[in-house]
Amino acid sequence: MRGMIMSTESQTFTEKFDLLGCIQCGRCTGGCPVTVRTNLNVRRFVYDAYSEEKLEELAKLAEIWDCTACHTCAVRCPKGLKPLEVLIGLRSMLVDSGKVQSTVRNALESVYLEGNPWEKPKATRYDWMEGLDVKLAKPDTPVENLFFVCCTIAYDPRLQVVAKNMVRLLNKAGADYGFMAEGESCCGSEIHTLGEELLFEEIVGENTAFLNDFQARRVITLSPHCFATYKARYPHLNKPVLHYTQLLAELLQQGNLSWGHDLQKKVVFHDPCYLGKQSGVYDEPRRLLKSIKGVELVEFDRSRERSLCCEGGGGKMWVESESKKERLAETRIKDAHNLGAQIVAVACPFCVLTLEDAMKALGYEEEMRVAEMTELLAELA
Amino acid sequence: MGNVFVLAEHRQGALRDITFEMLRVAPNVAKELGGEVNVLLLGYNAEAMAERIAGYGVKVLVVDDPLFENFNADKYQQALSKLIDTCKPSLVMVGQTAQGVDMAPALAVEKNLPFVSDIIGLTVEDGTLKATRQIYSGKVNAQIAFKPADTYLVTVRESAFEAPDASVAGLVEKIDSPIKEDLDYRKFVEYIEAEVGDVDITQSEILVGIGRGLKEEKNLPVVQELAKAIKADLCGSRAAVDAGWLPHDRQVGTSGKAVKPKLYLALGISGAFQHIAGIKGAKTVVAINKDPEAPIFAVAHYAIVDDLFKIAPKLAEKLKELKG
Amino acid sequence: MKIFVCIKYVPDTSEAVVKVNAEGTAVDSSRFSFDINDADNYAVEESVQIKEKYTGTVTVLSIGPKESEVMIRMAMAKGCDNAVRVEDARIAAFDPLLLAKVLAGAIKGQEFDLVLTGCMAADDGQMATGVALAEELGVAHAAMVKKVEILEGKVKAYRELEGGLMEVVEVALPAVLTIQTGINEPRYAPIRGIREAQKKELKVVGLDDLGVAAGDVDASASRIVVEKLYLPEVVSSAEFIEGEPEQKAEKLASILVKGGLV
Repeated sequence: MRGMIMSTESQTFTEKFDLLGCIQCGRCTGGCPVTVRTNLNVRRFVYDAYSEEKLEELAKLAEIWDCTACHTCAVRCPKGLKPLEVLIGLRSMLVDSGKVQSTVRNALESVYLEGNPWEKPKATRYDWMEGLDVKLAKPDTPVENLFFVCCTIAYDPRLQVVAKNMVRLLNKAGADYGFMAEGESCCGSEIHTLGEELLFEEIVGENTAFLNDFQARRVITLSPHCFATYKARYPHLNKPVLHYTQLLAELLQQGNLSWGHDLQKKVVFHDPCYLGKQSGVYDEPRRLLKSIKGVELVEFDRSRERSLCCEGGGGKMWVESESKKERLAETRIKDAHNLGAQIVAVACPFCVLTLEDAMKALGYEEEMRVAEMTELLAELA
Repeated sequence: MGNVFVLAEHRQGALRDITFEMLRVAPNVAKELGGEVNVLLLGYNAEAMAERIAGYGVKVLVVDDPLFENFNADKYQQALSKLIDTCKPSLVMVGQTAQGVDMAPALAVEKNLPFVSDIIGLTVEDGTLKATRQIYSGKVNAQIAFKPADTYLVTVRESAFEAPDASVAGLVEKIDSPIKEDLDYRKFVEYIEAEVGDVDITQSEILVGIGRGLKEEKNLPVVQELAKAIKADLCGSRAAVDAGWLPHDRQVGTSGKAVKPKLYLALGISGAFQHIAGIKGAKTVVAINKDPEAPIFAVAHYAIVDDLFKIAPKLAEKLKELKG
Repeated sequence: MKIFVCIKYVPDTSEAVVKVNAEGTAVDSSRFSFDINDADNYAVEESVQIKEKYTGTVTVLSIGPKESEVMIRMAMAKGCDNAVRVEDARIAAFDPLLLAKVLAGAIKGQEFDLVLTGCMAADDGQMATGVALAEELGVAHAAMVKKVEILEGKVKAYRELEGGLMEVVEVALPAVLTIQTGINEPRYAPIRGIREAQKKELKVVGLDDLGVAAGDVDASASRIVVEKLYLPEVVSSAEFIEGEPEQKAEKLASILVKGGLV
């Protein structure tokens, strides 16, 4: 049975999201990337949500599902508020009423029943390991780097390569690591942003207990979404959490990793929102790319904390925007194309899906490629 | 042993194919069981339908009565119940259709008949009647033996058997209606035709799915023509919807709809995991894509590696020919 | 309205690799995910919607293992009031007519207006239990219902026929309706609701508690024997059609027509 965790029911919406702290400056909406596509005006929501009577009405507005939880609004807010959380709070109201669209329902139920949002059986989570020489972690055996594989990487055949390549790189570097072959379950990143607050609470409790049980020095995540979530929303986790680019940069610096080939290409790195503006990791992926002989690393105009969101987060894998306007991922790929980049390097599974899709939609397949960092590195190692 | 009863299925004055499909297996089983095939037709003004069935070289027992103008599961059950008592057939075959499933299980309970539903095979081995049916979304076959009984009941999956060709003329025999009165606890009210233009792809039997491979909106007629030839509804991947080729409610996948057609024809769809998740309910998947590495082929039952523009028009043409 | 809704805990095998043991007697289900049967999920939603409109109670009824309680709690989180789970190893679960007998044993002796259940279970695909249950209970029924209207003493049921045609029938109450998918939009069972549902009654009973004689519903009572399970020859690997474009199209057309797929 799942543990019962009581949430802080007594707080009002206004208190919970510190709505009175808002000065209505509009920097949030001014920076919100989805405003070019949709009617979402997050400042307006923060303003309207003062009035508790209005909440139910606000929760019915389709725009609350347009937010990608990129955190640009939070980064820009001069008062240190997180305007996006207001939208998530409104989603929570809808989730608690049960009246969410079927795609969201299926993702949430799948996490509750199977520990992943992709409606896949728990038991097949580790199938990606087949045929690989992968070291497994056991709770009672000390290990330096305990790996946590994201659900999307574990199940999506397009992305399983991320985990597989990671194993190859780790074996090559002779690193002390272990992957989990049972008990691994969704980090809850997207569950939180889809608004299933109580399920997220349960997940946090279960994963904390599960991960704390391992005698590992630190946890390494493959997806920035798991990374940001563990860092920011797991207060009782007893070990530090790293994104894999940080570990690889470390292995590189220690001289345990090197590249056997060079790569004569123009490469641009796309900062994933959950890695960059939410977690402050900007340099390690760039350091890795610069270490490859032949690589000409170029930068987007909108890079680092100003990076343009690909619209893969915030539960958007299960909610389609009605907007017919150009997807942000397409804008991003066009920008990369204009830079003359031959490779768009990314370090997030959702960014791979959205950007690769955009690249194909734009017909740039012959000229450029979207590559997950591990794909590039494993090819060169 | 008695005869094999095949229940003719008709709707709005027309026989349904399942009636003839059952005639593919009924004669052999009847022979093994030592009887002959009788097709039971419960209808009203049913002469033409009866004659057509008789053309397959079988005896047709016709109840021609206003009580049977439209299907009513309870009236059918009562009629069959009485005819089983009087004619003692060794086997009753009914379609696994919206009509059949509404009646057969109740009849089985009422008459305590050994019953197997949705069969795709039926044989007699050493005097034992055996049926084949599928479980786990068609991934496992089950061979089922009937315990000895005077009368067995099966429902037969649609399209599991190919209808035989019409042969010599058989007999049409009119029999009195086994039931005399209308029922008060179940009444037929009306038929309502499916609304045109308001397609719910989650309910479509045949779907033609399009993806990025269509390239441009002006290519739509190519796939529309094919869809028309097989009475399919059009749906598509996120890319096809994004491109504005199809409305949002036609999108299949994790951020769109989950569909469960009998046939899913994927044209120029590469098969992202998120799209494939939406077609896992499809019984048969046919994929046409020029990329031999396209993931859609991993879930396809039939595959063609080629340009959809070379295949689709020819396919539409051939299908029209074959379907007449 | 007093409503029973019968639901089943089934594996999702649509994408799974299915293996049969060497004896051909069992399928290895260790790698499957299980959940409420799809059509039953719509039946739960429909029963809750009817209750919300006309007031009353909804009782969940299910034959299944302890693990299925998660599904039952989710149904209660959506608005069902209480539940009965029948578990008894003697029940011949392969025979829908006997399952109907067990379900009838759990309902008989209680007043009810409606029994709803899915029109088909995704695992064995019989489409038989609901209609057999109506016969066992001696009440009217309609199968594959895509729309329900409650009238005075009767229900107007819209049955979905092949090709999207609707057959509208009126059946007297009490009645059993087997529900077709797509009749409604099943709601989400939020964790808040699941927690609250822990307080609702979930009775676990065996055949003896129901007063159903084991000899009436065990394998000896079944009129059929499942002799063997086996994998059909072609499972999921695609048949690649080769040749010039024209030949490919021709071959495919022929496969589609002969296979009754179009």
